[in-house]
Amino acid sequence: MRGANAALGAAGLAAFLALGEAVPRLGLVKEAYLPPTSRIAHALGQEVTDHAFWTALGDTLTGWALGLAIAIGAGVVVGLLLSVVPYLREATASTIEFLRPIPSVALIPLAVLLYGTELRSVLLLVVYASFWQVLVQVLYGVQDVDPVAEETARSYGLGPWARVRHVLWPTALPYVMTGVRLAAAVALILAVTAELVIGAPGLGARIAVAESSQAVPDMYALVVVTGLLGLLINVGARTVERRALAWHQSVRGEVMV
Amino acid sequence: MRRLLAGLAVGSFLVAASACGSSGGGGASDKNASSGGTTTVKVGVIPIVDVAPLYLGQQKGFYSKRGLKLSMTTAQGGAAIVPGVVSGQFQFGFSNMTSLMIAQSQNVPVKAVVNGVASTGVAGKDFGAITVKKGSPIKSAKELEGKKVAVNTLKNINETAVRESVRKAGGDPSKVKFVELAFDQMPAALDSGQIDAAMVVEPALATVKSQGATEIASSLVDVAKGLTVAMYFTSTQYEQKNPDVVRKFQEATAESLAYADAHPDEVRQAVTTYTKIPAATLAQVTLPKWPAEPNRASIEALEKLDAQDGLFKSTPDLDKLLP
Repeated sequence: MRGANAALGAAGLAAFLALGEAVPRLGLVKEAYLPPTSRIAHALGQEVTDHAFWTALGDTLTGWALGLAIAIGAGVVVGLLLSVVPYLREATASTIEFLRPIPSVALIPLAVLLYGTELRSVLLLVVYASFWQVLVQVLYGVQDVDPVAEETARSYGLGPWARVRHVLWPTALPYVMTGVRLAAAVALILAVTAELVIGAPGLGARIAVAESSQAVPDMYALVVVTGLLGLLINVGARTVERRALAWHQSVRGEVMV
Repeated sequence: MRRLLAGLAVGSFLVAASACGSSGGGGASDKNASSGGTTTVKVGVIPIVDVAPLYLGQQKGFYSKRGLKLSMTTAQGGAAIVPGVVSGQFQFGFSNMTSLMIAQSQNVPVKAVVNGVASTGVAGKDFGAITVKKGSPIKSAKELEGKKVAVNTLKNINETAVRESVRKAGGDPSKVKFVELAFDQMPAALDSGQIDAAMVVEPALATVKSQGATEIASSLVDVAKGLTVAMYFTSTQYEQKNPDVVRKFQEATAESLAYADAHPDEVRQAVTTYTKIPAATLAQVTLPKWPAEPNRASIEALEKLDAQDGLFKSTPDLDKLLP
């Protein structure tokens, strides 16, 4: 079953690449604006031999990883705090619902004013966008705590910290992991967007330079790199999720079926 | 224990990811770092041909012999550069004259310090032009009335320039429909007929020409002969606190501009270090002029046209703005 799936996946990808080659070659779109797959692949081959490309990749990953780490840390701590301290959740609910839908890209002018075109302005956007993903999942997760388990823990005399550690956290973890997976993808999108729009060093800025230089195949090659990066990040996040939740029925169930 | 492992797994995932990261370009270099008598200044630039003299001058040692080291930070467009300079993220920046005059008229504390780039002043052989698609019935700027014309930014230098071309050709600029489009998207938009004409600059101009498009007006030339299109600027606070650095930057940049103007082949070489313009396109690119001094008369002409087109709420004070 697994082998058949992999073969189908490979066939689908091959068909997609062939389509990318054929459409411009047949003249359905102009080669100048959408180069065929082979030319993009050639440009990609030249990119990876350029030292500046790896620096840009490193810059993008730095912005992504730092931003994600800050967002996860802050999201978990704030989320637990809001749920544990009485009345705090109710008091902040409306503010959170107001702030959460603000698109991170709308904060670009603010980021530029505060930090110019440095890494910090990328971080501002990345953290803002991914923080809510984690926070909201933590809040949902905490709500899911079984009241019987909670009461049992209380009657056994567990203190607040022990209850967080042994009852609340295991219940919330599957939700947190979903939040982390979503946040990892959102963080990459925002890191590249920030570089593209603001010009902070990284893959996005390199795409912008290729674009304004009329170097169309290079631009697509870099776009492909960001896609591959997103793919790797998603695979990585899923692996972490499975490892962290190996004990949980959702993951155990997958293996049994 | 398992939960601890889970935590470690997440942690190592992140550490592994960040370990791949190396910070190049920007990073946390401190502003004004002085080491061994060398002052590092950050310059906010747009990665286009116009700023090549800075890169070339740095290579040639025009800055280092005066104790300056330039740290070029590329920004996407002037919109990020002006706030960056005013807030002190950059010590110097590159901006077109209309944007600088608009900023000055709104009392944004900017001070132009040294010339940036000028039009070649030769109609038909400038680095920017109004172009129409191959075979278009439009032959002159007058015929743009009622047509869709793309400019990179509405209400800025290029729109003013196109309006002046239409006016000079005997047309009514208020009848032209302006749309905003990035320079690099103009070739495709022109080719597919989404727009009737485009005010396009290099290197997109070379692409447009290679598609067989025709130039119908050199708008920057129409504004004024030898128009000063852009200048390097700083904030008034920085200028007052560091007159010495500003003076050195002025001298070194003036020397770089003169050198660039005299050595076009070296300019084309320098351009490849910070853009990705393909060699075939770069060979076709019309280089701008880099006079060492700004042309005050041309800036005044531009100011008058900008004012006529309603770009200023109050008149900019050129004596305060210019060096």
